Amino acid sequence: MGVLRRMWLTVASEVSWRLPGRPQRLLAAFALAERGSMLDMLAAVEATDRRELRKKYFLHALDEGRHALVFAERVRALGQLGRAEAAIEDSGKLVEAGIVGGRTLFERLGEPEFLTFVYVAEADAVEQFRVYLDRGLPDTRTQDELRGILKEETFHVSYSRAEVDRYRKEGLPVDWWATRLRLRRLWEGWLRFSRDFGAVMSAFWLGVLYLLVMAPFRLLARLEPGGWQTPAGRPGGDPLVAARMEG
Amino acid sequence: MPTYILGISALYHDSAAVLLRDGEVVAAVQEERFSRLKHDPALPVRAARWCLARAGITIADVAWLVFYEKPLRKFDRILSTSVATFPKSWAAFPRHMRAWLGDKLWLRGNLCEAFGVRPDRVLFCEHHLSHAASAFFPSPHRDAAILCVDGVGEWATTSLWRGRDTAIEPVAEVRFPHSLGLYYSAITAHLGFAVNEGEFKVMGMAAYGQPRFRAEMDRLLKLDDGGFSLDLDYFAWHWHPSQAASPKLEQLLGPPRYPGTPFTPRATPEGAGEAEIAASQRYADLAATAQQQIEEAMLHLARHAKAKVGTEALCVAGGVALNSVANHRVAAEGPFANLWIQPAAGDAGGALGAALWAWHSVLGNPRGPALERADLGRDTPLDRTRELLDDLGARYEDVGDDAPERAGDDLAAGKVIGWMDGRCEWGPRALGHRSILADPRRPETRDAVNVRVKYREPFRPFAPSVVAEHADEYFDIPAASREPARFMLSTGPVRESARATLGATTHVDGTARVQVVDAGTSPRYHRVISRFGAETGVPVVLNTSFNLKGEPVVSSPVDAMASFVRSGLDLLYIDNFRVERPR
Ligand SMILES: [Fe+2]
Ligand SMILES: [Fe+2]
Ligand SMILES: [Fe+2]
Repeated sequence: MGVLRRMWLTVASEVSWRLPGRPQRLLAAFALAERGSMLDMLAAVEATDRRELRKKYFLHALDEGRHALVFAERVRALGQLGRAEAAIEDSGKLVEAGIVGGRTLFERLGEPEFLTFVYVAEADAVEQFRVYLDRGLPDTRTQDELRGILKEETFHVSYSRAEVDRYRKEGLPVDWWATRLRLRRLWEGWLRFSRDFGAVMSAFWLGVLYLLVMAPFRLLARLEPGGWQTPAGRPGGDPLVAARMEG
Repeated sequence: MPTYILGISALYHDSAAVLLRDGEVVAAVQEERFSRLKHDPALPVRAARWCLARAGITIADVAWLVFYEKPLRKFDRILSTSVATFPKSWAAFPRHMRAWLGDKLWLRGNLCEAFGVRPDRVLFCEHHLSHAASAFFPSPHRDAAILCVDGVGEWATTSLWRGRDTAIEPVAEVRFPHSLGLYYSAITAHLGFAVNEGEFKVMGMAAYGQPRFRAEMDRLLKLDDGGFSLDLDYFAWHWHPSQAASPKLEQLLGPPRYPGTPFTPRATPEGAGEAEIAASQRYADLAATAQQQIEEAMLHLARHAKAKVGTEALCVAGGVALNSVANHRVAAEGPFANLWIQPAAGDAGGALGAALWAWHSVLGNPRGPALERADLGRDTPLDRTRELLDDLGARYEDVGDDAPERAGDDLAAGKVIGWMDGRCEWGPRALGHRSILADPRRPETRDAVNVRVKYREPFRPFAPSVVAEHADEYFDIPAASREPARFMLSTGPVRESARATLGATTHVDGTARVQVVDAGTSPRYHRVISRFGAETGVPVVLNTSFNLKGEPVVSSPVDAMASFVRSGLDLLYIDNFRVERPR
């Protein structure tokens, strides 16, 4: 995994950081991801039964919140105020990007697997940030910030690794979980791709439907006029029957 | 066995769950307070779970689940509008259809799956009827005109009803695409703010401007015959997948404001150049014009309501009912003796309305007492909070029932404090349960709160909370505004004599969005303000919602601690615990 992944990261970062407009986008995506991890960690503070871990989760959450602000600040400094603001303020973006939504990570995975997830994600992030720093990307200011962030990410890796090691000693299948999580990430990437592809295809067919089937009705349809209108009559009879209706 | 009804609003923005026990609100809370996603539109699974837990029941005990919209009518509107705007709607059509065919059309099944109810237990209330019910049934009025004004539900964007005891009869409606809510949102977007979020910012900005664009903007919005209509050529929400304005709007109003640009009007130039000042002033003037139009439109609609329905009382709901400046004008200049607005006047409130409609109008049950308080959301047992504070190694003191007095002392000593007390508020306003409090007298406090805590635009004012006994000494509150002021839903003039005193909470135009605090319904918050008053001679505090930029109002002690540590607050109160900053 390691060598291949590093090669991939190197190639991908060279390409993506150097395209115009891309750095801002990537940094905004980082800000969103950091914000998402803050929420995940705070949910863990809320839900954990292991009281000795609460403070670690809490401090971890605060770090991620700060990282989100740092990345957003870089986006702002690189001239995209609107994007920077959205990365911090628009929670719809978090859902769109698939970072949060539905049940929390902690609820879905349970504590041991959640910690394994944290370990895997943090270790990968550290690796990714190191590659950027090694390649001198994307600019010196951002690199300074990355260096600061990297120090804190190292704490996230070390405490979660200690917990994962502990679970391993207890006989929990943490390595299988880690592999499964990485595989799932690939699978989710594929799903996202096929979803986007499906969206394009269905948009195409819906477009055809729109042109062929809807067009003739254009003559019949008109927009509602402004001003007060008389409301449509309500059905009589048993109010419960009407209340059950969706239309 | 009492009858439990679960009301649900979701899938647009601000989803919420409300649980009624024999018609009485047991719990009402927005999903965002659990998911921590501001304006979360997702099905409010966590909020509902919490409501059930609060009542000590399971979903099996719930007799009816009531959704706040009729989905098929909404689908009908979207389909009809796409056809009527052919071929301009070519991009919007596939997007809408994918959302609907993929998900929204199968709502009954989705609700059953998400909440675990049987299909025959699910009811659907019209969107505007949900609004109307949310405004009328919790009010003290047995006969009232009801005016609902929002973006859009199924077809109606504005509706007039008459509520009599347990029945709500439709009188008239204005239909999509003509919409005051969408109009205000289009201007919000033009002024560089996010729709459904930046409307309050437009209201704040308006105070810095003059309504000098009436000639232009009256071409967009026309009041006629008791109602209104829009010139749709300037707008795009009925055919564009994401934009509210058509290119014509830009031709008329000039270039839109780029999001995040510093706002430096003449009153607060902050050392900006003449070009920037002029640009900011233009945006302020546009905001002022739109705001004045909305105020006049609301007055116009209220007068029509009076002419048609003729009652003494008016209940208002819908997103536009959160425009507190317009509410004040309806109360002060309008024809009604009483105005009633429910704290969650926007779409979240639909959950309350839908549930109450089922209880009264469908099941035929009699009315109960009026809703007088907004603390209907989440709370946390003291021992859970203590455990958390211990686990986090927080520096805290259990001050017991002295917390309000201690907080009052801290405020008098100039501290900016986080005040989390009891149950979370229902609706967008913090009313002394999840508030940031500070001394309202010095303008520097405002800057301190802005710079150290809220990081928000300096042109947005902070609100004052005053004890009811002294409200009239400081604020000019018309009789009809008494009830809205309880929930901080009306913005009116600060008395000339008090403007210098209340430097941090008086807006540039001499107004304030005041909350009048009653000892009966908000006893602990009343004690905080009273104590501050006893020490300083001013029974008023600065009150702003306890959240950081981009985040929903805090609801749990974890949220409060995370916001406390990340902000520059001096102190945090969580119920009986007084928490100091980490060393
Ligand atoms: Fe991070
Ligand atoms: Fe991290
Ligand atoms: Fe609405």
